[in-house]
Amino acid sequence: MARFQPYTEEEKASLSQKYTPEQMEAIEAGETSISAQDLATQGAMRDDEHKLPYISDLSTIDPVIDHPVTPRSRLDPQNRPQGDASTRSGRGSSSRKEEEEEDPHMKRLIRQTGYTKQQIRRLRLKSLVAHRVTNQTRMGKIQSIYHLSVAGDGKGMLGIGEGKAHEDGDARRQAMMAAIRNMKPVPRYEERTIFGEVTGKVGAVELRLSARPPGFGLRCQHLIFEMARAAGIGDLSGKVLRSRNKMNVCKATFQALMQQKLPEDIARARGRKLVDVRKVYYGGKTF
Amino acid sequence: MSLVNLSHVCSHLQNASKARLGLTSIPSTNLHLSICLNLQKQGFLSTVLRGGPSPPDTSTLHTGEPLPASADAEATVTQENVATRRLWLGLKYWNSQPVLSEMKMVSKPKQRIQLSSLDIGRIVRGREAGYVKGLTRPGECLFVSTDKGVLEARECVERKVGGLVLCRVN
Repeated sequence: MARFQPYTEEEKASLSQKYTPEQMEAIEAGETSISAQDLATQGAMRDDEHKLPYISDLSTIDPVIDHPVTPRSRLDPQNRPQGDASTRSGRGSSSRKEEEEEDPHMKRLIRQTGYTKQQIRRLRLKSLVAHRVTNQTRMGKIQSIYHLSVAGDGKGMLGIGEGKAHEDGDARRQAMMAAIRNMKPVPRYEERTIFGEVTGKVGAVELRLSARPPGFGLRCQHLIFEMARAAGIGDLSGKVLRSRNKMNVCKATFQALMQQKLPEDIARARGRKLVDVRKVYYGGKTF
Repeated sequence: MSLVNLSHVCSHLQNASKARLGLTSIPSTNLHLSICLNLQKQGFLSTVLRGGPSPPDTSTLHTGEPLPASADAEATVTQENVATRRLWLGLKYWNSQPVLSEMKMVSKPKQRIQLSSLDIGRIVRGREAGYVKGLTRPGECLFVSTDKGVLEARECVERKVGGLVLCRVN
C-alpha cells in the first residue's frame, strides 16, 4: 500500500513538463479511478503455477486476439504535426505511403498474416513461373495469365503461391500474396542446409534434395535455387529425376523441404538417445 | 537363409505400419528372430514375442509380471509345432506416424551382396559402395548378417566385420 501514494504537487509539476495537459488529465483520471488497494492486490505479476507463459504486449495489435483497430488518420487536422521544413519535405513520400496503406489487398494481407508492412517489404519475393492458360467454354476460349511465386525471409520461412487473372499484374499480385500467406518454417541444419536427403513427387516430377557440407553452394536447377535462396538455404544439391515441368518442380521442392524429418524427432520416436557429436567435438562452436 | 521369406517380412511390416496395426506376426525363423531383435534394439519395434498361431496376451507385458504359463507353452518349439510358430511383433507409432515406415531388401535372392567392413564404413558415412547406396537419410539403418550374427551397419564398422547386407530400414 505504501508504494502507491497519490502524486504530490511537485511530482505533478515535473510530470506536466513531459506530458501534454490532455495526457495529464488522463493520468489524473486514472489515479482517481483506480484505488491503491486494487493496485497493491492485483497489480502484481503472477508467479503461481497457473500463470500465463507470456506477457501481453499491449503496444502492438495482435491480428488474432485483438479487435480490429482503425488507426487515427494522419490527415486528421487536430493531429497533423505542425510541420517544419523536414516534415514538409517528407510529405510526398508519406502521402504515397497512405495510398499503399489504402491498397485493400495489402491491408487484408497484413490483417491475415500479422506481419507489419516493413516485414512484408523485406521478404524475398520472386515470380518463378508465368504462362498463359485457356479455359475452353461454349462461348469460346477465355484466356488468363497464371503466375507461381515464392516468398521467403531468408531465415527459414518459405511459401509458394499461385495466382490466375486476366491481367498479368493481377495474377502476379495474387500469387505473391498467396505465397506470403502460405509461408511456413523450413527445417534447416545449422541454418545452411537440409537434414539428410529428401524426395518430393508431384505429378510426374520426382526430385531428390541432399544436404551438403559448408561452402558447397546451391548446385541445383534454377527453380530449386531460387526457392533455396528465399528460404535461406546455402548448401544444397538437387536432382530432378523425371519430368521437369516448372510448376510441379516448385511444388515438389516445397513438399520435399517440408517433409524433412528432424533427428530429434526420430530419436524421440525410437526412444533412443541422440548426441550431436559435431557440437560436442568443437565445444558447441560449429559455425 | 531364405531371402525370399525375409522380403515377405519386409513388405508385411511396411503394410502393417501403413495400416496402423498395433500387433502383427511373421513366420518364426532364426533369421527373422535375430533381425526383429535388432529392430527392437534400434527402437523400431516395441515387443518381440515368440508364440503360436493365435496372438499372445500382451496385457501383462509392460507390468513387469512374468508371462502366463500358457504363453511359455506356445513359445516352446517342438518338432510337431515348428511350422506353425510365429513371431508376434509390436509396432510403434509416434505423432500419428509409424516409426518403421520403410523396410527394403538390399540383397536379393538372385543377387546376394557381400560387403567388407571398409565398404560398410563408406556406406555409413553416406557414400556409395558395392552397388549399395549410402545411408543418407537421417536415422536410416542397414542390417548385415555376419559371423557374429545379424548386426547393424554401424556396429559392423565398430567391430570390423563384414558380411551379407540384408535390408535397410527407415
